[in-house]
Amino acid sequence: MEQMQWFVMGVLFTLSVFALAWLSVKVRLQWYIWAGMITGVLSILFGIGWAGASFLEGISQSGAMALIFFCFPGVIMMILIWRYLIAPEFEKQGN
Amino acid sequence: MTNESDKKKDNEAQDNNVSVEKSSIPGPSELLEDPGRRLFFKRAAVGGGTALLGGGAAYGVGIHSLQGKVSDEYPVIDESVFKPKDQRDVILNFVSSKALNKKHPERNEQYNRLQNKEFDWVNGIIDMYNKPWDNSKPGYTQKDRALQKAGWEPLNLAGSRGSANLQPDTPFNTWDQSDVEKEQYKFESKKHASDAIKSAARVFGAVKCGIAKRDKRWDYDPLYDIDSEKELSWEKDFPFEPKTVIVMLASMDYDCIGTAPAWTADGTAADGYSQMGVKATQMAKFLKGMGYHAVGAGNDLGSSVPYAIMAGLGEGGRNGALLAPGVGPRVRIMKVYTDFEFVEYDQPHTWGMTEFCLSCGQCAEACPADAIPLMESEDGGYGFKPTYEFKDEPGYTWNNHLGIRKFYSDAKKCYNFWVENGSACGACIASCTFNEPDFWHHWFIMAINPYMPKFLHASMALSHPAFGYGHTNDPKKVIKFWKTGEGMRVNTGMKNNIGTSNIS
Repeated sequence: MEQMQWFVMGVLFTLSVFALAWLSVKVRLQWYIWAGMITGVLSILFGIGWAGASFLEGISQSGAMALIFFCFPGVIMMILIWRYLIAPEFEKQGN
Repeated sequence: MTNESDKKKDNEAQDNNVSVEKSSIPGPSELLEDPGRRLFFKRAAVGGGTALLGGGAAYGVGIHSLQGKVSDEYPVIDESVFKPKDQRDVILNFVSSKALNKKHPERNEQYNRLQNKEFDWVNGIIDMYNKPWDNSKPGYTQKDRALQKAGWEPLNLAGSRGSANLQPDTPFNTWDQSDVEKEQYKFESKKHASDAIKSAARVFGAVKCGIAKRDKRWDYDPLYDIDSEKELSWEKDFPFEPKTVIVMLASMDYDCIGTAPAWTADGTAADGYSQMGVKATQMAKFLKGMGYHAVGAGNDLGSSVPYAIMAGLGEGGRNGALLAPGVGPRVRIMKVYTDFEFVEYDQPHTWGMTEFCLSCGQCAEACPADAIPLMESEDGGYGFKPTYEFKDEPGYTWNNHLGIRKFYSDAKKCYNFWVENGSACGACIASCTFNEPDFWHHWFIMAINPYMPKFLHASMALSHPAFGYGHTNDPKKVIKFWKTGEGMRVNTGMKNNIGTSNIS
């Protein structure tokens, strides 16, 4: 099961890379926006990895904490960056 | 080339009057011709590649960190106080010997007077397993007692149960050297020899193995035969002069020890003792088969924790146990004394665990006997002598090995709780921040720990229970343990020291 988790993590990582590459083609962004987006992606992936391993070992509280403390801040950060920094750039650059 | 071949194909299709419909899905040639798509793939490749390289580098740093750093700080000894430990003053030896109890009635009297108890040391160890079960109380039922007794059975059958209480020269850990092969196997190099010994340890089921030089500072001296109540000498009675001590670790079950201090937890501790007997005797036989003298040992012959530290297997913890990276204190230590010395010796290493203990104290909080010094005590309980209550009462610290810098606990109170509990405890093992199952996120924490500033250690320690780890005295964990075998038929994790079912 643990190996299966690593495979799923690999798929998620690849999809994240594609998503960020697509974003880089569509719109020109400042370095700090990229730093925020990459941190957000890494935080979410880390949280998913932690939570998955915790559920596998049978400590669901650890899994829940990982989702709250690692994934959730990552998601919030990416939503805020998208809403306030990336979306205006899309409009400005006519995409 | 690609464009030309595509055109050629189109022409061929027209020649054959086959209608070629334009597909909405771009072909490979169109895809690469589109500058936007080319840029997309280029950036995905560069970004993904960079991330993978970064991840690989971080993994490398992590693996390096897990190897530990050679420690020239261990052992720190106060030469004016330190001397080899008399085996008779080790608590499990003392409580197993009627003669020693008769010789030292003042120890009993002082303990009972200061602790306000009416405790019988020597009969305690016999009474412990006779406490009646209560089938309505999880962890204290007939089933839990049966698991505990089954754990001890291999040692009982081998007539070697006493080795847990420091009895030397038992059938498993025999001093008899009549079966040593006359021809001595010669290794190509010291590294080959060390690798061979560690490979054999792996086959016997040890989770870790290290090799230390024999060091008289850690050997009990004099030795003591509890059965015949007789003092033994290394020079006159031991069958050879040991040069090397091979140290192996057997891990205990994570879910089972997590039930501490219930009787259930003693099931894996007892099994660990049996593993000690089996593995040590196997390693001794392996060495004898190669023509070298060897004697296996459980708790007997020498102090296991310092030998394990000298063999590079871990560090000393606040709870007095060895903390081994990856398993923490959830291990049992066995030793094999041999005169084979053509080996590469391991060195003490540090992973920052002892330093972490200075800010943690989860074991002290969990100890039902209050036997482990709390953070508030002098130097956080870390020093050359005990800092616990009544430490200054003359003779009260008779069971401690004074003069070495470490954490000192009051084993008398610990043992007293065992007897009251009707079983050994293990709460300090279960609650330890380093007691973790084999999953990547625990190894990650282990790898970053040496780089963490000291002020974060306390919050890391508090995170452990907040994330659901290390709770003790919890009947739910007993109920959970008895369900952990649910997935055992398939056991997709292929791990045998954690449950096969992920029931929380």
